[in-house]
Amino acid sequence: MSQLSQLKVLIADDHFLIRQFVRNALLDSKITDVQTAADGNEAIDLVQKAQENGQPFDIIFLDWNMPTMSGLEVLSYFRAKREFASSAFVMLTAESEQQNIMKAIKAGATSYIIKPVSPTDLAKKLVEIHEWIKRKRLTAQTVQG
Amino acid sequence: MVMESTVQKTMHLHLDDNLSKEISTAVCETMRKTFKIEMVPGQYEIGEGVASLVGDVTGVIGIVQDQLEGTLALSLSYDVMRDLLPQIVGRSVSITHEMAVDAVGEMTNMIFGQVKCGINGTGLQIKLGIPTVVSGKGHFVSHFHRGKYMIIPFKMDDQLIQVYVALHSGNNKYD
Repeated sequence: MSQLSQLKVLIADDHFLIRQFVRNALLDSKITDVQTAADGNEAIDLVQKAQENGQPFDIIFLDWNMPTMSGLEVLSYFRAKREFASSAFVMLTAESEQQNIMKAIKAGATSYIIKPVSPTDLAKKLVEIHEWIKRKRLTAQTVQG
Repeated sequence: MVMESTVQKTMHLHLDDNLSKEISTAVCETMRKTFKIEMVPGQYEIGEGVASLVGDVTGVIGIVQDQLEGTLALSLSYDVMRDLLPQIVGRSVSITHEMAVDAVGEMTNMIFGQVKCGINGTGLQIKLGIPTVVSGKGHFVSHFHRGKYMIIPFKMDDQLIQVYVALHSGNNKYD
């Protein structure tokens, strides 16, 4: 996974408008391996199954307010598991209160994007997140080696 | 020894130019970033009682601040949604009622989330509820505390979008 276009992405948001908007922005960056989830439980199932199948998601976009489990709960669930340490969990939310941003960062969010976001700004964030993933995996390889 | 008494002054939200400006910025930015559409805000009007909105789908969200309560609403017609949504879902997809309702819910969330951020940045502390969406031709919005309201119109070509704000306090001092 050295190319941006090879990233595998999950978009978890209960609104189809955002799922489709992000999917379009990813397509602009030539990222085609994209799945979507409409609630927190579905996101957990998809991320876990992908990991078990040996084809984990590289980036998981999480809305804050979703049915069944919030994005923050999904984030905390996976950050407690070591095998997801190099997966990027990105909060993509209209929730802009400073204390909630801090909560997400403390819970291990890789990035925090406040909606609305333009496709151009999302593309810039993707490059930053891709760099974070590469650094994280390089560090993991060095430690193992 | 001189005793100084301090009067603690609480700032409140008003139906005025500042609020109109915050809302206009949020609507225009959300529409530009999400749909690549330029909106033109018009002059707001202040009214009292029940307001009839031109939209067929309205996103409604509650607002609270100190001793102030209110309602924020974003109202759009099906025609506007049929113009906007194909830019996201593609021209070949038919726009359904469910799609319009879902999209207005999320637009309400994004626009008023941004308004909250802007207002709270000026020192006021407002909180918002979870948006709900009502739909149906020719519906009207009634704030239960029958105080003053503000309606801000936005033009997109020959289409109209409206934002409705009603505020009230226990003594109606902050309308």
